[in-house]
Amino acid sequence: MRRGVLAAAWLCAGCLLSLPLVAVDDGDDAHVVVAFAAEPTQIDPTRTSAGVDQYFMALFYEQLLTAGPDLRQRNWLAESWRLFERDGVWLIGVELRRGVRFHNGDELTAHDLRYSYLRQRDPSLSRQAGRWRHVADVRVLGDYELEIVFKGLPDSALLPLNLDLWAIPRRYYEEVGNEGVQAHPIGTGPWKFVSRSLREEIVVERFDDYWDPDSLPGIRRLTIKIIPEDTTRVAAFKTGAVDWIDAVPPAQVADFERTPGVKVASLPTSNNLFLALNALDPRSPLGDVRVRQAVAHAIDFDAIIRYILHGQGIRTVQVTPGAPGHDPALKAYAFDPDRSRELLRQAGYGRGINMNCYNLTTPREPYLKEVGEAMFAYLTAAGIRCRIVQLEYGAWINLGRRDARPEMDGIASWMWGHGALGDPTDPWGGHLHSYGDGWGWYSYHDDPELDGMVETLRVTVEPDAKEALIREIARLKHERVAGGVPTYRPLVTLAWRDTLRFEPWPQANWRMMRDIGLADSPVP
Amino acid sequence: MAERRVPVVSCVVLGLVLLCAVAGPWFAPHEASEIALAESMTPPFWRSGGSLDYPLGTDMLGRDILSRIIAGARVSVTVAVYAIALSGGIGAALGISAGYFGGIVDAVISRLIDIQMSIPAIPLAMLFAAVLPPGEGMVITIIVLTYWTWYARIVRGEVLSLRERDFITVAKVAGVSSPMILIRHLTPNVLNTLLVLATLQFGSVIVFEAGLSFLGLGIQPPQVSWGGMLADGRNFIEVAWWLITMPGLAIMASCLASNLLGDWLRDTFDPKRRIT
Amino acid sequence: MRAYLIRRLWQGAVAVLGALLIVFVAQRLAGDPVALLLPMDASAEDFAAMREALGLDRPLPVQFVVFLRDALTGDFGESYQWQAPAMPLLLERLPATLELALAGLAFALLLAVPLGVMSAVYRGRWVDRLAKVLALLGQAMPGFWVGLLLILFLAVRLQWLPAFGREGPLHLVLPAVALGWYPVAAMTRTLRSSMLDILDSDYIRTGRVMGLPERTVIWRYALRNAAVPLATMIGVYFANMLGGAFVIEVVFAWPGVGRAVVDAVFARDFPVVQAGVVLSAVIFVVVNLLVDLSYGLIDPRIRHG
Repeated sequence: MRRGVLAAAWLCAGCLLSLPLVAVDDGDDAHVVVAFAAEPTQIDPTRTSAGVDQYFMALFYEQLLTAGPDLRQRNWLAESWRLFERDGVWLIGVELRRGVRFHNGDELTAHDLRYSYLRQRDPSLSRQAGRWRHVADVRVLGDYELEIVFKGLPDSALLPLNLDLWAIPRRYYEEVGNEGVQAHPIGTGPWKFVSRSLREEIVVERFDDYWDPDSLPGIRRLTIKIIPEDTTRVAAFKTGAVDWIDAVPPAQVADFERTPGVKVASLPTSNNLFLALNALDPRSPLGDVRVRQAVAHAIDFDAIIRYILHGQGIRTVQVTPGAPGHDPALKAYAFDPDRSRELLRQAGYGRGINMNCYNLTTPREPYLKEVGEAMFAYLTAAGIRCRIVQLEYGAWINLGRRDARPEMDGIASWMWGHGALGDPTDPWGGHLHSYGDGWGWYSYHDDPELDGMVETLRVTVEPDAKEALIREIARLKHERVAGGVPTYRPLVTLAWRDTLRFEPWPQANWRMMRDIGLADSPVP
Repeated sequence: MAERRVPVVSCVVLGLVLLCAVAGPWFAPHEASEIALAESMTPPFWRSGGSLDYPLGTDMLGRDILSRIIAGARVSVTVAVYAIALSGGIGAALGISAGYFGGIVDAVISRLIDIQMSIPAIPLAMLFAAVLPPGEGMVITIIVLTYWTWYARIVRGEVLSLRERDFITVAKVAGVSSPMILIRHLTPNVLNTLLVLATLQFGSVIVFEAGLSFLGLGIQPPQVSWGGMLADGRNFIEVAWWLITMPGLAIMASCLASNLLGDWLRDTFDPKRRIT
Repeated sequence: MRAYLIRRLWQGAVAVLGALLIVFVAQRLAGDPVALLLPMDASAEDFAAMREALGLDRPLPVQFVVFLRDALTGDFGESYQWQAPAMPLLLERLPATLELALAGLAFALLLAVPLGVMSAVYRGRWVDRLAKVLALLGQAMPGFWVGLLLILFLAVRLQWLPAFGREGPLHLVLPAVALGWYPVAAMTRTLRSSMLDILDSDYIRTGRVMGLPERTVIWRYALRNAAVPLATMIGVYFANMLGGAFVIEVVFAWPGVGRAVVDAVFARDFPVVQAGVVLSAVIFVVVNLLVDLSYGLIDPRIRHG
């Protein structure tokens, strides 16, 4: 009977469900609903502090250069640019594309980019202010012409960062202030802001005056829902509430690939994961290189990638495989818990050590929490007994920052992307170079020799010399287990219904909703 | 009447839970936190792909579900025992005082009970989860803060009715001091009530702890708790149904058993059903 | 009636005051309340300013008065996660939580009223036994687990109902069932026993003797009188459901107060947590007050003196 009553109730509910959930208009006016697993905390590109911020920024804001689906860098808002030396001063000269408009109708000029520079280098606004230490000024030569002037040698991290400047509307920013920008961002991108409700969704509309009318999205409106829980996100896709999701759980990728009417793309993210180790205090166990090596030997990363991630990860020793400066000869520390115990013993910790182990639980990358638990279980088994502390994103990012309390006093599951192009210059400046003077915001290491090399790398532009230096730093970083133990680069799997046409672009870790439309609408 | 029979099944289930809590590590097939990635997501033995090595299957990290449920019993029972002893002790002490002394003491304690009861348990738990370090201690604190009123209220009522009974009046007239009356005469009389309440509370403490741990606010890994297991399994609901069913069954079985036993005790000790 | 109202209002006010006191104590328990109330990257000036605002250099009672003054104006500080005042953030989400709690209550009543009445009328028969089994199960299965099972069977396996979010009435079904599950047992039991008492009373016997149809006697006269204890429970359970919704909202990604508060606990966003606790205490008190006052409407025999 109980079953009968409930079944009857559920049957009624089931009947109701046969009504269509989402009405999708056809053609150009279509409104598509998609779901992201994680939500940015910041929309303003000059104030961003975390990679996840790119998810929304990439909808509204553009840079001088960009990388296309082929991962090749191409000119974007810059018509042309060149790096040159004039009277002993290094410069990057940029000619802007003309006729680029902001969503409020203002035209983009060189003044807007200089304004962006002033904001990005202001430490009270930007966490990345240190990046600009090599730049003396950004000079406006005319409405469509500007120069990035270096103090000495040119900054080699600016190029892989697409020259790093963002096209933000100066007049609008000055008018509405920081809060206003958060409430209603305006840029030159293909999408205009409509509304946002925190932790729920953001709604955007196609910007019909976009400078490149040929590459306008094929739909008028886009709603991005935030659904952190894997199960609910997948259920939302399967029941048709959303037509596109990111971060398909690795265990379900095979199932998705078999599902008719669903398209799937697994792509390497621009994120690089590592275990951060606090090696600052020479008296703490992690201050001893042997203990850090013990950490590196204790964990079976290949098994983690194979069984937990179902292959959705690329093992990294230091530099991303295939990226400039990648050294195939540099081999990862073998999984060898006996060796770990031996190293601990040599360091004087024969009985093992107790350690605070911080785990990030936000689904920023697939199965991060589970991977973290596995890593910490391996450590515990090898004698590095973890007291696990689970952290949500906000608390986690604060834990890592050197200028915030509490201090990360043990081992933490961490990440810092080497970007789509795999250039480690900027991340090494942030978590390998020691803290201070704009360097090492998330660094728990202090090695003067490596500091010097990272500083040199920063101003080494010539490709061959740069690659050689990257290889050399990678080798030393590896030997000394400095700036953490690199683990893997995750793949992200996107899935969409074949009623949609979607081409992933690498911005925002492939979540850039640029090339999207209905499958039967004409391809731009 | 059928319900008057000693609930054998309940006693067996509770006995098993207690046994797991006390001696679990000796008979669990695996170590609860032992990972075996190659064996991850093994289904229970009766399903294809399952094996008797892992009778109830394994989780994402290849940890044995059965062993983890056994280990979880330890946490559940530890929390329950401390929480029940403390909330029962504090609640009973305040309830007896309020009932016996009456007047201002009663007014203050009753008001305290009212205040405490006007804050729903879960938001209150959030408040303390936000200020106390997570773990068993915090869970126990939260449960004690939530449940003492329950004991205090019922014991107070009990004492109020006992106070008017002849033997207390006689003791008072005979000049027996207040503390003496409290200890000698009142306490034994409310012990039965306390026993019933404690048995009934066992089940709800297990559910409460599971809820907190499910939210991630209670027991922290690597300690195993049933609620935490459910939270871990939640993300794999589509690929491994056993992750969210097995620990839930453990919660249900122990809670059901303690409720049935509590009901039986109540029927036996308190046929007039003053305890609700 | 007026005296009663005043007394109840006074009790409610004391209870809310007590809740505020508990929040205040919890704040001080944590050590430095400033560290609790400010974001982790707050500057030394922020710390000094907050110390000043809280009056930390003054005696505790004065600090409590400062806290009360702010609380009475709804000022529980600014959420540093969302960079906005904490209480309005939660009030914005209150409708979603109320909706869920009401739906849960509706589900519970839908199941409990027929079951309670039938099990009293057919005492000892199979309906009665079924109700008993259901009650036992209801109290032993935590709502969040029921929620997970519902998602597993109805959303994942059968794909009948949506498992997340708040998009329309269909989205309400699973969370409401999970939330309403627990009180069914107690409501059924209460209704059953009060129905049994009333069915035995002269009042009903008279009705029967007068030849009123059995259906009318049971559903119109008996139920009406048996509903008073149930009404008390509805108040208590509705208020408890608002608390229970905290967990269910997390299970079903329901955009309500509870999920926001749970998120806030993880983000160490204390202003939101304390606003959430006070908000739920206020709702609890108000709901119970309303229930008390509504007795007179349900049962005309009760008049507050």
